[in-house]
Amino acid sequence: MITSMPVPVTLVMLLAPLLGALILCALPQHRTRLLRGIAVGSVSLSLAAALYAIFTYRTAAGGYQHEILLPWLNAPRITFHLGVDGISVVLALLHAFCAFTGVLISFAIKDRVKEYFIFYLLLITGVFGVFLSLDLFFFYFFYEMAVIPMYPLIGIWGSDVKEHGVVRFSKEYAAMKLTIYLTLGAVIALTGLLWLYASAGARTFDLIEVQRHLAASPLPLAAQRGIALLLIIGFGVIAPMWPLHSWSPIGHAAAPSAVSMLHAGVLMKLGSYAIIRLAVGLLPQGAQAWLPWLAGLCVMNITYGAFVAMAQNDLKLIIGYSSSSHMGYVLLGIACLTPVALSGSVLLMFAHGIMTALAFALVGHVYDQTHTRYLPDLGGLARQLPFIATCGVIAAMASSGLPGLANFVAELLIFVGGWTVWRFAVICGVLGVLLTSIYMLRFVRGTFFGEPQAAWAHVRDAATAFDRLPYAILIAVLLVVGCWPQPLLNTIDAGTRTLLERLGPPSPSTQFADTSMKP
Amino acid sequence: MGASVAVELVICAWILLMLAADLLMPAAGKSSLWMVALAGVAIAATLLVLQPQPATPQVLFGTWLVDPFARLFKLLFLITAGVVIIMTRSLDTFRHLGAFYLLLLTALLGMLTLSSMNDLLLLFLGLELLTFSLYIMASYVKTDARSVEAGMKYLILGSVSSGFLVYGIALLYGFAGGTSFPAVHAALQRGEVPLTAQAGLLLILAGLGFKVAAVPFHLWVPDVYEGAPTPVVALLSVGSKMAGMVALLRVLYGVGLPLQALWGTVVALLSAATMLYGNLAAIPQTNIKRLLGYSSIGHAGYLLMGLSPASALGAVSVGYYLVAYLFSNLSVFLVIVIASHRLGGDTLAHYHGLSRRSPLLAAALFIGLLSLAGVPPLAGFAGKLFVLLATVESRRLWLVGIGAVNVAISLYYYLMVVKRMYLDPPLSPSPISVDGFTTVVLAVLLLGIFAIGIVQQPFLRAITSAMRW
Repeated sequence: MITSMPVPVTLVMLLAPLLGALILCALPQHRTRLLRGIAVGSVSLSLAAALYAIFTYRTAAGGYQHEILLPWLNAPRITFHLGVDGISVVLALLHAFCAFTGVLISFAIKDRVKEYFIFYLLLITGVFGVFLSLDLFFFYFFYEMAVIPMYPLIGIWGSDVKEHGVVRFSKEYAAMKLTIYLTLGAVIALTGLLWLYASAGARTFDLIEVQRHLAASPLPLAAQRGIALLLIIGFGVIAPMWPLHSWSPIGHAAAPSAVSMLHAGVLMKLGSYAIIRLAVGLLPQGAQAWLPWLAGLCVMNITYGAFVAMAQNDLKLIIGYSSSSHMGYVLLGIACLTPVALSGSVLLMFAHGIMTALAFALVGHVYDQTHTRYLPDLGGLARQLPFIATCGVIAAMASSGLPGLANFVAELLIFVGGWTVWRFAVICGVLGVLLTSIYMLRFVRGTFFGEPQAAWAHVRDAATAFDRLPYAILIAVLLVVGCWPQPLLNTIDAGTRTLLERLGPPSPSTQFADTSMKP
Repeated sequence: MGASVAVELVICAWILLMLAADLLMPAAGKSSLWMVALAGVAIAATLLVLQPQPATPQVLFGTWLVDPFARLFKLLFLITAGVVIIMTRSLDTFRHLGAFYLLLLTALLGMLTLSSMNDLLLLFLGLELLTFSLYIMASYVKTDARSVEAGMKYLILGSVSSGFLVYGIALLYGFAGGTSFPAVHAALQRGEVPLTAQAGLLLILAGLGFKVAAVPFHLWVPDVYEGAPTPVVALLSVGSKMAGMVALLRVLYGVGLPLQALWGTVVALLSAATMLYGNLAAIPQTNIKRLLGYSSIGHAGYLLMGLSPASALGAVSVGYYLVAYLFSNLSVFLVIVIASHRLGGDTLAHYHGLSRRSPLLAAALFIGLLSLAGVPPLAGFAGKLFVLLATVESRRLWLVGIGAVNVAISLYYYLMVVKRMYLDPPLSPSPISVDGFTTVVLAVLLLGIFAIGIVQQPFLRAITSAMRW
């Protein structure tokens, strides 16, 4: 089913940053302005393509659109197959926003600019590839391609995490831990994918063909369960599912701001996306066997992450643990697997991605100006940084789920949709929102309010329109989606609907969830 | 008749030429001998490519095979030898250069013999020709005590493994009444195979396990890798390992297929042990050549894993892995030959901040190591994927799991090298320049790494058509 689209948007989205990286390789090191210009240009192209893709996505038709199919290998059959459905088109847009604002924030990088943007654009390409690929081989291919650039990005341009001026852990340690954890997760998932390939017997890696084949002749339940377990654990590492999350907060903390933005904003969503797309999408019966476990683990994610975030003194660690706590809600939505909760889960991936990118960007600005992220050293910065402080308050409000911002809609959908399925987990989730507001208020108060300190008299706000652009974009997205979620939700529903149809008739416990509950 | 052994005849002629040159040429003129040796390899490669495929692959009374398999691997051996010759170019320390190239060519002759053999005696002959040359080459720098020790260790352990091999050949001969591969294969197919013949095959497996550095026949590897001159290590690690795998493919697939239930399990167990040992033991290493020694043990594990399914896809995956390994490892060693020469040592500490002193060398080593680790879109990834795919189809899921986890383990120590090159400050700020010729060779190897990793179709087709016999 190749639709004859006038513009191959998926291809443009994927190849623009790759092309940018290749051009950068050929340019001289010292032409900083040119290097930055090329990086901005290539991600703008991706952003334009992502916007075009979502505006032209026909929600009524649903299914995969903007497809591109290129035979790659005959036996075993591998296809270069790109396409988006209602879920991935939204996540691709999220990634495009984070990548674009991330590149703008990266202008603060002064050292080894050329190498930085090459690795950064490769990272962006890899993540786009995962969201757009409809072939298991390329899914893994791009997934691993997204993980590896994180090592030099954190190792070279990151910063050590200090407490009382003493290094708590070095950036090298954080970079290595992140890379090894994610690769270990990836290869566990790869084992599952290969097992799936061998036992499905379709001798193809094409996702659509595998899906069709599995729908016609489902695997025995034992194999389904085994494969789904490997996929959930493997991709759960990056999600990050408790107790496999420990790479994530320290990875955030040590990475340069723009990398944290992508990492927390998008990279973690690769895990939950892969669980929805592959574990639930291909092996519905097998995945359902593990959902109770997932529900239990995401309660730990939410509460444990929130309590640990409360105790942190490093700004980035606070946001980092809050991210792993909020990803618990996303996993909760998947564990409930009702139409409403699943749509809420995807919407939260989007909302949290934008929110956390905003938070890391502004923490990065504070760190650039003060050279510390240690909460007890900060305070009263609202006087010098009125714009950044406003952004901080908005990020905190979004994070705590205040109405009017995107996160509220998403969390509400998850709670409403999941109430009948995992009531205890939903109650814990609601309590988690309360915990979120505690640590987010502590973060805002400790950084921006309180007594102004003489040491910070010199710090500068994001003053020019250009400096404010990334923040403005992210806040605008949060507000628009928060006040007017329906168009985005319609698109997401188009994706989740087809996914859930494959699960068969709803069990009695999920019948409560009908679409009239949406705000 | 002559056409089917033309490549070998050219190499023989060049061996004599090298001998004469070594004796007659003045010492000053010997520095350009590498060009003569390279020309010989190039002529042989041209002849190989132009060689017509004979109607029947068996020639020379059925002892010699001229099939696509032989042609593919001969080409790979010639490429390896060519790159190794280029590596020696920058090393002035080799005093008797003529004799060194002579040994390199005899080793090459041994490898070519192994690609074409169709007889157990030729297996022994080819292997000894290769190993004897390597014994001497490993201890070539006589002033360096480590080099002499390396050669000695290699000699002693190698002789023991030759003993295994000969004993295995003898047992199979006693069982089959002949040494030619078809004769032994027919005898194995006839039904009940006595224990002695099974033991014979396993003894040959042990002897070849030494060549490919499989656990528990790996003990020589770290010391020899550390002590021997770096170009020789490259030859050991690529050429000699590939020769061992070629012999294993010929023996296990060409002769031992009726006993696949037996050797499949043994090879799978050896593979798991080899991967785990090689990759775990590489972690604490501080010398880059030692580290690559252990890493090459790890790769032997993956290669054995590809053998274990005893299927057509298994053989193809081994072929693909070898091609990927050749390009990745040769580029890594080419960088190390240049870098260790300029940096003044082989310890990992010497590589601190290499990316600031020579972005090209650091990037090449980065790409080569990541390819060895199996990171997409590089060659090693495609090789590992095909090996895992062949294994998963044979239902050995546990082996797939171990193989997959080893990707993450190996990534750790490869990244530790990357860390030193990119993250740590350089010992001295002076830049390292690389000459044009080496840059071109390095660029070709790196392009190969990307091509093999991204466009698998043409390579896979060529290898699949070579893996039928």
